[in-house]
Amino acid sequence: MPQNMAQPSLDEFQAIADPSRRQILRLLSKERLTINSLAENFDMSRPAVSKHIKILEYTGFISIEDIGRERYCTLKQDGFNKLQDWIGFFDTFWKDKLKKLESLLNNKTTKK
Amino acid sequence: MTKSIQHTLFFPHTPEVVWEYLTTAELLAQWLMPNDFQPIVGCDFQFRSKPKEELGFDGISYCKVLEIVPPKRLSYSWKAGPGNGQITLDSIVVWTLTAKDNGTELSLVHSGFKEIENFAIYQGMSAGWPIHVKKIGELINAAKHGSTIA
Repeated sequence: MPQNMAQPSLDEFQAIADPSRRQILRLLSKERLTINSLAENFDMSRPAVSKHIKILEYTGFISIEDIGRERYCTLKQDGFNKLQDWIGFFDTFWKDKLKKLESLLNNKTTKK
Repeated sequence: MTKSIQHTLFFPHTPEVVWEYLTTAELLAQWLMPNDFQPIVGCDFQFRSKPKEELGFDGISYCKVLEIVPPKRLSYSWKAGPGNGQITLDSIVVWTLTAKDNGTELSLVHSGFKEIENFAIYQGMSAGWPIHVKKIGELINAAKHGSTIA
């Protein structure tokens, strides 16, 4: 997956599939941090950290704000909401499908 | 955060009859989706449905039969994604049939939404959201008024 990192086509699931990006979110869940201070937590280069941050921004997990000369990262709700969408989708999906199964089976005469 | 989907239904039919509807491709297609299911452990099969672009779902569910105990238990993996072999949903569907009151109790558990489970560590965060946002607002205001933020 690191090869695809720069592509903005990553979705929310791919965004959090990467351990470094999870770590960034974990750090930000405690407090907002500048890109520089986030980078201090990783062995990789600052540009590499920046790339991860861009992906998280693009997928709606964080927002970046320029304050003075610093760039501050803050958690955002959007990306997290999207994660629930699959479950929400399947919840409705199964309700509909099971209703169909029910009517199919209920219209069937019980075998003797 | 919900991590699994569960449903329990009762049918006035024997488990054998209900089992047929879960394990025969033609019958499955009648209520679930077109498929090429075969009741063989380890067998790969697919469900086909309409794509859901906003979900990053191309409409193909890649499944593999994990367990078959007629007419009691059936499970399969359920993977899906936006296409090109990318998988973003990795989950498991388990059907359990229990003979009960001259009929069958059927239970469905769809779980193991991998990324979501891994992500449950952030659960507490949502709850603390308003406080978090408020704090950020205060910090920004402070910054605008020239104070330094460590």
